[in-house]
Amino acid sequence: MGTVVGWWQILWTGFIVTIKLSLICSVTTVLLAALIAIARIHPSRVVRGLGEVYADVLRSIPLLALLLFAYYGLGREAASYGITAFWLAVAAITLSESAYLSEVYRAALQAVPAGQREAAASLGLPWWRTVWLVIAPQGIAPSLPTTVNAVVGIVKGSSLASLIAISEATLVATNLVSQTFQPLGVYLTLTLMYLVILIPLSLVGKALEVRFGLARDADKNWLPRRRPLTSLTPEV
Amino acid sequence: MSTGYILKYVLQGAPTTLEIAAGAWVLGTVLGLLLALVRQPGGILGFSAASVVTVLRCVPPLVLLYVVFFGLAADGVAIPAVPAAAAALGLVEASFTAEYFRAGFLTVQSGQYDAAHSIGLSRFSAFRLVIVPQAFIFAVPPLLNSFVALLKLATIASAVGAPELLYRGQLVYEQSGQITTVVVVIILIYLLVTIPLTKAISMLEAKLQLAMR
Repeated sequence: MGTVVGWWQILWTGFIVTIKLSLICSVTTVLLAALIAIARIHPSRVVRGLGEVYADVLRSIPLLALLLFAYYGLGREAASYGITAFWLAVAAITLSESAYLSEVYRAALQAVPAGQREAAASLGLPWWRTVWLVIAPQGIAPSLPTTVNAVVGIVKGSSLASLIAISEATLVATNLVSQTFQPLGVYLTLTLMYLVILIPLSLVGKALEVRFGLARDADKNWLPRRRPLTSLTPEV
Repeated sequence: MSTGYILKYVLQGAPTTLEIAAGAWVLGTVLGLLLALVRQPGGILGFSAASVVTVLRCVPPLVLLYVVFFGLAADGVAIPAVPAAAAALGLVEASFTAEYFRAGFLTVQSGQYDAAHSIGLSRFSAFRLVIVPQAFIFAVPPLLNSFVALLKLATIASAVGAPELLYRGQLVYEQSGQITTVVVVIILIYLLVTIPLTKAISMLEAKLQLAMR
């Protein structure tokens, strides 16, 4: 039991990096995704097209591939400007996750009734003020649950940063394994620690889904119990 | 080293990528269907199925792969990299598939259950003959989408040395040092495969929704 507590303490040093990486990535991802989503409802066809290409291309490239490309392709160059692998990971995770999240934000913006935009236009608001004051505020609430889920995805994705030599939780665990030769115990402890962080977060996401009415009959029995035939008579 | 050589070298990883994705997909679909069937609100069974789904969604796939590949190997259950990756990703996949099936079941109207009941079908037969065929159609587009996602997620298997596309790319980069060519080749392969597939699936989805209206 003592060893597990010791592991817990060692792994926690890694989790500090995981949390830091995830927090930074969450902020940058949300901002970039919002920007792309706004580009995708822009009146100009060119801007819309660029937004769509961004979302399509970056959703097609695996996150791990992006991380390795950034590390092997730009690592040396970046280091000469004082940019560490940590920030390359921030860039790769942000690029990848924002492409997914931008689709969700775009849908949320497009779901705002057209009358809102028309009313703003009739008041003489220019396009960007319409977006800023009228459309975006109405898109925030429905996209909150997915944003929380995206943060869960970012924390999970940050484990891939271990493969470009960033000492976050997963890499710390791998190093611990090479000292203790107990991969099952160490990796299960690691799993448990991820769960301790992520389960509450995903429950928050679920609660928000219920709050905003997005959960599809979360508590409905899809397979009803066998009922007496009388229940089949139409209710008056 | 010529671009052609690099392309050929990387593409030799395609069958492994497909094996991992297909294995994970089959495992995820079967397991996900089981989880969806068991996952009724109330009852110990339903609660445990819901818990399994939540837990699987909160574990990084790479960590799960390490548990399966390194963890079990240390306990004497050595699984080769490709099946280990298919198993780990299949478990991750099941947590998503379970939701697709559940959503599919929920779209079947309750009148269908009542009708099946009224003609004397048992709960199981009603389920097999009436509900599943209707629910399954709605699960098809998300299931296809998740196969595309698995093609991308399969790159994680490179971390345990499965010779899939990205791992082959790393090898040929070490031989040639031509990072730009390797990057462009891998990105193009993924773009050319995933974008048309994704567009085709969303077209199918639109058609399906139209037909069901």
